[in-house]
Amino acid sequence: MLQVTKAEDVIDHGLSLGADFAELFVERSLTNAISTLSSQVQSVESGIDFGIGVRLVFGSKVLYGYTNKTEAEELKRIMGELAAMDLRDPRVSLQAFDYSAPVEHHPAHRILSADADVDSKVAYLMAADAAARASSNLISQTRGACRQKEQRIEIFNSEGLHTTDARNYVRATLTAIASDGQDQATGMWSDGGLLGWEIKEQVDPKKTGDEAARQALVNLRAKACPSGRMPVVIGNGFGGVIFHEACGHLLETTSVAKKASVFHDKMGEMIANEAVSAVDDGTMANEWGSINIDDEGMQTQNTQLIKDGRLTSFLVDRLGAEQTGFERTGSGRRESYKYAPASRMRNTFIEAGDAEFDDMISSIDRGIYAAQMGGGSVQPGTGEFNFAVTEGYYIENGKIQYPVKAATLISTGPAVLKEISMVGKDFSLACGMCGSVSGAVPTSVGQATLKVDEILVGGQA
Amino acid sequence: MSIVSQAEQILDRVRAAGAEGDLIIDQGEALSLKAKDGALEEHKVTSSQVFGLRVIKDNRVGTAYSEAADGESLVALVDQALLNASYAAVEAHEKILANALKLETQDAQLSPSDQATVAEKIELALTIEARLAAKPMVKNVPYNGVQDSVGERRVYSTTGLEARSKARMMHCYAYALIESGDKNAMEGIGQAARRFVELDPDRLVDQAYQNTFDILQGAAIPSGKYDVIFDEEILPSLFNVFSMMFSGKSAKDGVNPMRDKLGEEIAGSKLTVRDLPLDTDGFGYALFDDEGTPAQALCLIKEGALSSLIHNSMTASYFNSASTGHGTRGPRSTLGVGLHQLEIDAGTADDAALHAGAYLVVTDLTGLHSGANPISGEFSFGASGYLCRDGVRVQPVRGITVAGNFYELLKRIALIGSVQHWNWARSAKMPSIRFADLSVSG
Repeated sequence: MLQVTKAEDVIDHGLSLGADFAELFVERSLTNAISTLSSQVQSVESGIDFGIGVRLVFGSKVLYGYTNKTEAEELKRIMGELAAMDLRDPRVSLQAFDYSAPVEHHPAHRILSADADVDSKVAYLMAADAAARASSNLISQTRGACRQKEQRIEIFNSEGLHTTDARNYVRATLTAIASDGQDQATGMWSDGGLLGWEIKEQVDPKKTGDEAARQALVNLRAKACPSGRMPVVIGNGFGGVIFHEACGHLLETTSVAKKASVFHDKMGEMIANEAVSAVDDGTMANEWGSINIDDEGMQTQNTQLIKDGRLTSFLVDRLGAEQTGFERTGSGRRESYKYAPASRMRNTFIEAGDAEFDDMISSIDRGIYAAQMGGGSVQPGTGEFNFAVTEGYYIENGKIQYPVKAATLISTGPAVLKEISMVGKDFSLACGMCGSVSGAVPTSVGQATLKVDEILVGGQA
Repeated sequence: MSIVSQAEQILDRVRAAGAEGDLIIDQGEALSLKAKDGALEEHKVTSSQVFGLRVIKDNRVGTAYSEAADGESLVALVDQALLNASYAAVEAHEKILANALKLETQDAQLSPSDQATVAEKIELALTIEARLAAKPMVKNVPYNGVQDSVGERRVYSTTGLEARSKARMMHCYAYALIESGDKNAMEGIGQAARRFVELDPDRLVDQAYQNTFDILQGAAIPSGKYDVIFDEEILPSLFNVFSMMFSGKSAKDGVNPMRDKLGEEIAGSKLTVRDLPLDTDGFGYALFDDEGTPAQALCLIKEGALSSLIHNSMTASYFNSASTGHGTRGPRSTLGVGLHQLEIDAGTADDAALHAGAYLVVTDLTGLHSGANPISGEFSFGASGYLCRDGVRVQPVRGITVAGNFYELLKRIALIGSVQHWNWARSAKMPSIRFADLSVSG
């Protein structure tokens, strides 16, 4: 996407300003988004994202800029503005580029640049819409969305790195709204992965519609959620957002290096119940959060974060490695050329255990079963997090009683990790978007159903 | 080739295809600085440009965008938008406005030239971090920064519209992490201005420190029903989360619970809510919306009754009404509606009345993006703040949740204060409002 001689000229210029390290991240992405509403196509949108990110490192200082232009003079101008306060004699010389293409672990076939497959995607969304509406005449509205992206990147750096990669993402979602004339409630189901539209051979629009409608109907008859501290059983798949928020963000060197994570000095220590082992794995074939190489050009890895309750690794990018001394883990990620890379999660999950679902429920006198989770957020400095329950049930005397609505779970990472006492066998992953300092990146969360012995439930009852 | 020439070429190609269209071109430049341990941790310089095209052909709408500005990409932009339109359902209500207005904001007012140097801005970033880090018990200042951004939007249409707005925003922010024994807390604040000299680092540092120090010893309070006052930073966020209640687009889509409630009492009679886009004190100022319709003041709730939804030309046509100048469309998005800057009329309650007896002041809510359902109005958020009595803070409060239904909460307004406050981002101006009987879990 960028001429090698031009990249060489620009990076050499960056080093001539006195930078210890210079990098160009070139991106050209195609996007296509189809929206349906009221059983009709509402919109088809498409776009071209193109830009070049420029990173200079002077000691521990990171200078970053970007532009949509490809002229060498514009790239040098940005470098000049960035380095204006740090100019010094050259410290290092440019290493000759040694091009290497990553091994493709996530093959994609029906990719966007070949065919947007609009007719096929619309047919999928309409089938999901029909399934949801067929579930009940209380389903009053549906929204469908299918989004595909083909991201092509090229990275050059002053250490001689020159590599390219292509990432193909696709995600289809249906939201169902149930209404009884008095109240409204929503349900949602989504499938996605790091592959092309061939995903349609793996997903079932009827299941998508049925599941979205089922959640909406459950929530329509849900009662106010009890509040207070109580045990909570958290469902598999997207329930793993609890670990993502409570712990994952706190293990990124973006927070660790600043000592803005409560775990920054806990390497090797027990930070969780011994029932907990957790992984961040970027290598899982065609998973939503996977990558071949990270956005700094390093082959990604499978990183064991916690083993039997003990902290075993952080998520480390290039800068984090320099600041903390830990080895890089192929975790340098960014949303686009508009962001400098930072240590980020990929597919993050608690490994399956051996507890039975019925045993978890029957062990609770008064608590909540959070079957489906929504999003959440965390403050890394204190570990305080919150996340929303989007499908929940009240448990009493060891039995699930009735659905509850509008509940938030809050706690701190260190506290909740020690409260996870039972982990089940029904492991699954779910896809989401994670927002942080380097933008929104695709990440998977996951777990088997697990039990937290005590957490604050915020409800209205 | 100039931007104007590129726009003409794009719209000529749209016309040649027998379609109508409008084109948004966004350009921007920004500087972002962050400090850590007395040195710059981030120094970011950016320039950006994006073309966003909407075409309408045979009553079908298609959109496309491109950040690449070469001739080939801009031809593809038009062709892709036309192709996308061919898949869309017929939408009889969405039109390119027959609007040949020439509209332009005043650069001297909204985007003043600024003589501050990069060195001065760096010095400000370092000063903020150093002064806050020097305060007692501050472990570090993990989040801080100074940003200077200038954004320019141009809107052109095949019917002759030429609109241009340009605005500058300088802002700084700081968050302190304080530790004392086994307690820790992180809070902060920001400031926004159009000129560098209007930023006040001393006030920023003092406020950020005080916010954090005051909450450090916070603890949960017993679960129960409390009168609650959301402070001037949080109340606009709460209204923003549920702003769909004013959306004509959501009403058209059948998901706005206020769709059939125009003229009905939906809130306590003390509440009057307006959108005031022409208030130049705010950063939500807008001379025109993204369709090129001139912006205007609009009363949304008048003494408790829903008096208007916000409309673009499409939703207005659907409801046989007139656009209220609230059309939104970014280069990458389709036509929607959005508020400019929300203001709530001052009430009559003085401080003594507003702060009588026991109540909870909420200064922070977490989970705003995930803990709310704008369709049903249900919410459940993590919260922190202060338990107060007769205007005096009795106890800092952390580790609680507040939950309820926003649309029911609007009917439980006990008192509205007599003084309006801008939030720090100057996007909304509201008085303190005391809500009765909100569920708190501790």
